[in-house]
Amino acid sequence: MKGWIQAFSVIDFLSVGILLTAIAMNALKRLESCVKAYTLNSWLLSLLIAIVAFMVGEVHLYIASIVTILSKGILIPMFLRKIVRQMKVAHDVEPYISNALSLTISGILVAVVYASLKEGIFVTGFSKNVLQISIAVILIGLFMMITRRKAITQVIGLLFMENGLFLAGFSLTFGMPTIIELGVLFDMLMGVIILGMFAVQIKRAFSSSDLDKLTILKG
Amino acid sequence: MEYFQFLIIILFSPLVNGVIKKLKANMQGRVGPGIFQPYFDLIRLFKKDMVISNVTSWIFKATPYIVFISIIAASMIVPVITTKASLGMMGDVIALIYVLALGRFFMALAGLDAGTAFGGEGISREMTVAILVEPMMMLSIFTAAISAGSTNIAKIAETHGIFYSPSHILALSAFIVAIIAETGRIPVDNPDTHLELTMIHEGMLLEYSGRYLALMEWSHYMKQMLLFTIAADMFFPFGIANNTEVSGLAVSSGAYILKMFLMSFLMALIESTRAKMRFFQLPSLLGSAFVLALLSLLTYIMMGK
Repeated sequence: MKGWIQAFSVIDFLSVGILLTAIAMNALKRLESCVKAYTLNSWLLSLLIAIVAFMVGEVHLYIASIVTILSKGILIPMFLRKIVRQMKVAHDVEPYISNALSLTISGILVAVVYASLKEGIFVTGFSKNVLQISIAVILIGLFMMITRRKAITQVIGLLFMENGLFLAGFSLTFGMPTIIELGVLFDMLMGVIILGMFAVQIKRAFSSSDLDKLTILKG
Repeated sequence: MEYFQFLIIILFSPLVNGVIKKLKANMQGRVGPGIFQPYFDLIRLFKKDMVISNVTSWIFKATPYIVFISIIAASMIVPVITTKASLGMMGDVIALIYVLALGRFFMALAGLDAGTAFGGEGISREMTVAILVEPMMMLSIFTAAISAGSTNIAKIAETHGIFYSPSHILALSAFIVAIIAETGRIPVDNPDTHLELTMIHEGMLLEYSGRYLALMEWSHYMKQMLLFTIAADMFFPFGIANNTEVSGLAVSSGAYILKMFLMSFLMALIESTRAKMRFFQLPSLLGSAFVLALLSLLTYIMMGK
């Protein structure tokens, strides 16, 4: 089994899958598909952690994997879908720049990360490529937060950044102690719930979730 | 024997098109024409008289031959069932792309030559698509070429194992989008209609009839099979023979038939499940495929496999 995982470079495929789902966000036009991309990203992330846990035989990594899939793979997507449904109208993402341009820019971001981290930092020894990919995912999440108009897409950008950070921490140190990870995940969950409520309230008060309109004074 | 493997592409390319049509019809719940229908169409066209506009120049008459010959020259470079290609010593994959571009260039000239509005419309669209497709094709080919250490397509086919890396999968998916765009299949162009608002490839051929039209259609079939063969050679070459012994060739022919069938199935599947895109949305599709190709190259450089 371990030899099989090595031979088919399963870890590389999973990490490239994580990168691809992040990049696919730039091409998607509907909020629902963005939530789907995030769900897929989280599932791949937790599968990656589970496989590394199997390779090195660490118990706390199994726990991290299960907690990740429960919170980021199931609870947060469910909540996001509920928010998208509550907003009712306008399922479009409405980016500031065209899809083709944002795809190109995220491609350039990945190139910059690869160029600046050519060697890769080889601490934990399961793969030297994961760190680059995680930093690329962080940058793409940040880029998404900058270029999207809707409050909810900015939340998804933040979540992608968090996934990237999680992966980066995990590739450098095999993850933080379980109690800290649990704390971070709980914070995330609360953060998403609060931000989601904000998005719904913004929508109710301004009859649009376009953040540009927040600069207009309400009498 | 190995010097004549390009004949496979010349002779069987209409069959591949027939198979795609049949599969597509079956997926959509129709009976569809028989798989040999493209041969009958070609024979019928060869028998017919030609109508040639008297404002056309020599380019219009030379183009069918140039396009046909350029595709045959390109197929001579490609290993079909054995990696001992006919002109394997001189032909590499960059030369191949530009031999194909020569054919496209003359096709565009001929489309303009008759001076009809649809010809101009067709070529302006074809050239726009070509600009977007060529760099993407190059990048995905380079991924395969770097990992093989050579741009010689026979050498690429020899060095690839069955173990895949992410960069190959990314390059293959970009290459499949490139094939769809180059052969004028559904998200890009609809091969079944001559609807003036949407046609790309047919727009250029509108003035041709009889023997010339047969040559142009045949070269289109050949180009399609040639691109399938390149994809098979570069990304899943297992089964291809490294020598010219009969046993090796038999295995390799079987594998080749299987691979062509798989590619035809994939094309039919994509054509049946996708809707045609508006022309102005194409840059978005081709741009995403370009990013895929770029990522494949980057992933290869970063991971080293």
